[in-house]
Amino acid sequence: MEKKCLIELKCIEKEFDGEQVLKGISLSIRNREFVTLLGPSGCGKTTTLRIIGGFESPTSGDVLFEGRRLNDIPPYKREINTVFQRYALFPHLDVAENIAFGLRLRKLGEQEIQTKVRTMLELVGLRGFERRKVTSLSGGQQQRVAIARALVMQPRVLLLDEPLGALDLKLRKDMQLELKKIQQSTGITFIYVTHDQEEALTMSDTVVVMNHGIIQQIGSPTDIYNEPVNAFVADFIGESNILDGVMVRDELVRFCGRSFECVDKGFGEQTPVDVVIRPEDIKLTFPGDALLQGVVESIVFKGVHYEMMIRTEHFTFMVHSTLAEPVGKTVGLSVVPFHIHIMHKTEAAQ
Amino acid sequence: MKKYMAYPYGVWMLIFIIAPILLVVYYAFTDKSGALTLGNFTSMLSYTSIFGRSFLLAFAATVVCLLLGYPLAYIMSKQPPRWQNFYMMLIMLPMWMNFLLRTYAWMSILENNGFINQFLQNIGVIRLLNTLLRPEAPIEYLPLINTGGAVVLGMVYNFLPFMVLPIYNVLIKIDKKLIEAAQDLGAPSGAVFRKVIFPLSMPGVIAGITMVFVPAVSTFVISKTLGGGKEMLIGDLIDLQFMGNAYNPQLGSAIALVMMALVFLCMLIMNRFDDGSGEEGGLLL
Ligand SMILES: Nc1ncnc2c1ncn2[C@@H]1O[C@H](COP(=O)(O)OP(=O)(O)OP(=O)(O)O)[C@@H](O)[C@H]1O
Ligand SMILES: [Mg+2]
Repeated sequence: MEKKCLIELKCIEKEFDGEQVLKGISLSIRNREFVTLLGPSGCGKTTTLRIIGGFESPTSGDVLFEGRRLNDIPPYKREINTVFQRYALFPHLDVAENIAFGLRLRKLGEQEIQTKVRTMLELVGLRGFERRKVTSLSGGQQQRVAIARALVMQPRVLLLDEPLGALDLKLRKDMQLELKKIQQSTGITFIYVTHDQEEALTMSDTVVVMNHGIIQQIGSPTDIYNEPVNAFVADFIGESNILDGVMVRDELVRFCGRSFECVDKGFGEQTPVDVVIRPEDIKLTFPGDALLQGVVESIVFKGVHYEMMIRTEHFTFMVHSTLAEPVGKTVGLSVVPFHIHIMHKTEAAQ
Repeated sequence: MKKYMAYPYGVWMLIFIIAPILLVVYYAFTDKSGALTLGNFTSMLSYTSIFGRSFLLAFAATVVCLLLGYPLAYIMSKQPPRWQNFYMMLIMLPMWMNFLLRTYAWMSILENNGFINQFLQNIGVIRLLNTLLRPEAPIEYLPLINTGGAVVLGMVYNFLPFMVLPIYNVLIKIDKKLIEAAQDLGAPSGAVFRKVIFPLSMPGVIAGITMVFVPAVSTFVISKTLGGGKEMLIGDLIDLQFMGNAYNPQLGSAIALVMMALVFLCMLIMNRFDDGSGEEGGLLL
């Protein structure tokens, strides 16, 4: 499978009424890649997508498509199609005509259009829905029509803006698998927007974590999860305990009034840092067997594990464990050095 | 409890809508002595040309209103929101003036020695026309008033807002995302308009046509003042039966009834054009 660079964003900045929404987004996306933009609400995901689609022009910076500058090309001339955040199906057309909309503009023959529409409906599991009014469909069905309408154009790139946002959990999971399957079988490059980290991790080849209009980290789902570059990413990708700490010297960090061994080096001496510990990496022990002691404040059953809040002298830790401890009990908390992640303090992470 | 709230409205409907219609129906089917008859309807046959003329002029006025009103509404809907209210006020402004006054104003503009003709004389256009076109029978003014054209002009002037407003209201409610979706699927701006904006604005167009056509087809003030009363419209004919020297309320009622039926029929046909797309279009019926 050839993997050359298809779309490139170069230092994209975007201002709305003097407010800077994107602050220098640079990103390159390879052919056939499944890229997800992930970040909290308002971080600029939709704006980035709209700039790629051509619905918004960047205040500065370039969008390149196979090396050609795309900035001044109107949306209708781009080999890019979009599945909109709230579907945007044409209410005056039935399901088949919605899907045929772009094909008719290409002046294809009636026979060919019908064939393509039927194939698409089958692909998204809506056989027999041709003549239904789109307003009479359920959210999930409308979603499928929106996907079919974009896919039938056989675009080079498909932009999807939180396409599953309005669906219930079960349907979401099914559609995630289906979308991934469609992406793999068609070989279309997907640029997918979500603020659901689990969705991003399960579907993508590459995850782009954004916050406040700045890219925090680009990497594979495993990289992002195992090696977050800062406290923001660590917190956004799965829950984390984030503490203020001081790097005393290489491989020794001080937080919660104690010194802990760790594996990180190169931060200098007496440097303030963020310390990140994942809830599942904390082991509960007898109080005497650990450096930290705390009292169980609450416990919630989460299906696979229990989630406990444990208050120590300086900080309340979130701990995931398959064993329950009763509320009010004093326990010890221990972490092996490998699981203590040290990160530079960054502005954007605040 | 809610049910009682509707009673005053029911009474109001009964007195001011249902009762007058029943009265019109009663008159239409009786003669002067009160006996049942169809004579009122048969004697109407001699007025078919008036019916034809009324529908023709109203139709012309509606078409002109649509051709002027749609682009106007479209341009208005594209303006920045702050300006839209201002333009809206400009369009409504003439309607704050008395209807009669507005129409009389047009009279003095269109008259043989009115504003336009005086202006044309002063800049020498009339003289030019005379030398160019008809040196043998020179004219002193252009015949503007007392023509079908003047009546249509009066109708367009008075009823244009009724075309603009419903179309504008539908246009501003069209979801911008749909326009983007069309562009996304390869539609240049012309195709976006033809395939998305125009079809979605049909309910407004239907409402506008209805709201212009119905008052235009039944007007009598406009034809009286700008048409000179020499070529009557249905409105004038009915007016004549109730207020004029031809006093004959029975015939007047019959004409009114037939016109109601015809208008109803027109609207029914109109709404068939709108099938599928806009359910709202049918609301006016
Ligand atoms: N047309 C606009 N005019 C002014 N401000 C805008 C416009 N579009 C977006 N913004 C602002 O830009 C910022 C980023 O918006 P954007 O829609 O890209 O966020 P997002 O990451 O997609 O969020 P969400 O997850 O809620 O969809 C927000 O603060 C928003 O208010
Ligand atoms: Mg968004």
